[in-house]
Amino acid sequence: MSAVISTEGLGMPVEVGAIDGQLKKLWEADEASTNASLMNFLVYTEDPSRLQRNSETIQELTREHACRAVLIAMDREASEAKVEAWITAHCHLAHGKKSICSEQISFLLHGKSLGRLRNTVFAHLNSDLPLVFWWQGELSDLFEERLYRLLNRLIFDSSTWSDPKTGFCRLIEAREDTKGQMVTQDLSWTRSYFYRLAVARLFDDPMAQKSFPDIETVRVKAQSEHRTGALLMAAWVIRRSGWKVQSRQGNHWKLQSKEGKEITLELIWDEEGAPIAELLIAAPDCSVRISREAGNRHLCQSICANDHCVDFSGPADSDQPEGLVASQLSRGGKNSLFLQVLPQFMELLESGN
Amino acid sequence: MGEAGVSNPFREDLVSRNLAEACSVVIFGATGDLTHRKLIPALYNLAVDGELPAGVRILGFARRDWSDEFFREGLEKLNKEVSRTGHDDEIWASLAGNIEYHQSEFQDEDGYRRLAEKLDEIDRERGGKGNRLFYIASAPEYFDDILLNLKKAGLSQDRPDCGSCWSRVIVEKPFGTTLATAQHLNEVVNGTFQEKETYRIDHYLGKETAQNIMVLRFANAIFEPMWNKEHIDHVQITCAEHLGMEGGRGGYYDKAGALRDMVQNHLLQLLSLVAMEPPTDLSADGVRDEKVKVIRSLRQWDTPELVAENVIRGQYVAGNVNGDEVPGYREEDRVDPESETEAYVALRCMIDTWRWSGVPFYVRMGKRLPKKATEISIHFKETPSVLFNATPGGVPSGNVLVMRIQPDEGISLMMNSKLPGTTLRMEPVKMDFHYASSFGKSSPEAYERLLLDAMAGDATLFARRDEVEEAWRFIDKIHNAWEEKGKKIPIAEFPAGSWGPREADELLARDGRTWRRL
Repeated sequence: MSAVISTEGLGMPVEVGAIDGQLKKLWEADEASTNASLMNFLVYTEDPSRLQRNSETIQELTREHACRAVLIAMDREASEAKVEAWITAHCHLAHGKKSICSEQISFLLHGKSLGRLRNTVFAHLNSDLPLVFWWQGELSDLFEERLYRLLNRLIFDSSTWSDPKTGFCRLIEAREDTKGQMVTQDLSWTRSYFYRLAVARLFDDPMAQKSFPDIETVRVKAQSEHRTGALLMAAWVIRRSGWKVQSRQGNHWKLQSKEGKEITLELIWDEEGAPIAELLIAAPDCSVRISREAGNRHLCQSICANDHCVDFSGPADSDQPEGLVASQLSRGGKNSLFLQVLPQFMELLESGN
Repeated sequence: MGEAGVSNPFREDLVSRNLAEACSVVIFGATGDLTHRKLIPALYNLAVDGELPAGVRILGFARRDWSDEFFREGLEKLNKEVSRTGHDDEIWASLAGNIEYHQSEFQDEDGYRRLAEKLDEIDRERGGKGNRLFYIASAPEYFDDILLNLKKAGLSQDRPDCGSCWSRVIVEKPFGTTLATAQHLNEVVNGTFQEKETYRIDHYLGKETAQNIMVLRFANAIFEPMWNKEHIDHVQITCAEHLGMEGGRGGYYDKAGALRDMVQNHLLQLLSLVAMEPPTDLSADGVRDEKVKVIRSLRQWDTPELVAENVIRGQYVAGNVNGDEVPGYREEDRVDPESETEAYVALRCMIDTWRWSGVPFYVRMGKRLPKKATEISIHFKETPSVLFNATPGGVPSGNVLVMRIQPDEGISLMMNSKLPGTTLRMEPVKMDFHYASSFGKSSPEAYERLLLDAMAGDATLFARRDEVEEAWRFIDKIHNAWEEKGKKIPIAEFPAGSWGPREADELLARDGRTWRRL
């Protein structure tokens, strides 16, 4: 038997077969609220203890993203196969006036059964609305073709994967299976969004542009847990610069520009700093540095040329997965830039010592 | 160089829009309300979203003898009150460090010479390209002085010494008060800045819902095939305001009136977005070419008889708005007690094109109406009355598609549905989309989008010279008819807090139609 799981806050327990009827009653009983939904938002975890926290996350997310939320936790260790379900609604005052509500259905699936996750998903979607699937943790064997063919958008966090190489290979395979229809969004990539924006801003400066061909060093400081995020950001720099990965020695990579110039990429672990703590792009006459202290909501951006530095402050990405998911949902799109940097990222990941 | 040989390889792909470039923003009329309540909060919010290019410097140009510090303090105070995203001290400090005040009379040539020196100094310090964006937010009587002095100081020309740098000007409304004054202002502007560097702002075009008109029409296959005289009975555009002449606005308004203040610019822009043909592309000229064709195709009401038949002007008399007693228009502060200026106007517009032949566009704008609301409603033709003739009540009404511009932005569609029961009865039901319910995130303010577009050189959401002049041509004829001696067209009256004069209702009643109840 698994550990006791808190289900407080998941709402009213219901029979699985009665979910639709109970939801209808819920809305009939409340004439003052508006049920709004732009998508089916599914959160899946194989850690049942997260169910409660995921419900709290939905409470926050639905402030800006009205949806039908379906939370599924799978207790794969349970010996007896059964399903428990709850329904609730998260309501918020829109612009201080109208109460806008999103409905939430939570499932706790006990026991291992390949088809049950898929069927539970199929049975409880709002028709026609897109399906956004937040897969928490490793892509297990339940991440299978008949499930992922249904998804419009898959959100995951590669920083939580024990074997990123295998995980990304599965992901690439799944994308090919779906003929690129499934949009993939890695929260580790989202973590560097404002870093990338800051690099682009700083390289608007003519001095930085002039020094671009002379770049010698790229340095990324990050927590070791956020290795994939750091490498994805480095892969973006490489991709945009038109460089090639030549070789690797530990956390140092040799890169080469189109003109044949050698550039060093260095990855430094900084466990006390922010998840991604620094990105430095340096040429002899000019350097661009973006950094962030742990817990700070801002990025420090500076450009130094000829001993003269100009500093700016800008927004930083959230540290919490919930905040990153909210940002992703707001930005939408096909996330094609992420796909473009995957080849460089895989090269960094795979290049031998 | 990086991929595709672009000058900044990291920029490409990060944003799906033209790139805003670093520049010095000079705001004329910097001590005014627009700067404090709209422009600086817009720039601040762009910085919060990470959209403001690095190296943007802001210079406030005005007559009052203020210090940099005093200017910044005032801006910070207002930003705390009105900013869409709240106020973050660190981001503000970063922005405020790039804000300066420049004291000068608008007519003082020396002030512009000093401004030029200051801008050169900023460019040297920043090492930038020397891009300059001049925002004329002063009172309109200074527009000429500012533009001519910018030219004299050599600030309006592309400078040969700085390669691809640019100088652009944003001009606030009112862009003229008649066709003649607009043409004069256009001559002055175009004698100073190139047309492609001129941005005539109409903040309605920066509103999310105004931009959504094109998306609704051209990104949804179900609407465009029906968007014509075959299926649409008529269109209504309403801009209602519950406010009157509070805060001293009567002085300006009594000279302008509803037709010049709102219809010439905002409402004709909305009308052109609704009525235009699909543009060949989304470039600034692609869109504006189609919009100007609509305004050019408006049937001209150019005699007193035609104006009397198709345009109603009105003034409110004392009444009651939101439970408060309010004075009549002529009793308002700074309004001439014998004023003949319209505080309400309703027009029946005809667009003489193949698509819209015979479809009236009813446009109305009024002060002291029951509530604040701007919306466009598309009234579709009714179904042939054959099937449901015998049903009790018949078919209630045709379908209506409503685009709400403000407040409560959204779209709704009225359709007929069977009432539950054993008999066949029909009632109109409403399918409603609210931006606020579906997207909890607040939309950027119109000025954020427009400032960023000007920095990026994208003039799609700004009015072009010919659009402005064609709109004035249409408006002037109505005004001239009102003022023609011996053919006095009366001013209709309505109690404040009502939905306008009876004559405006009759304008539609003659065609067998009624105004939509908002």
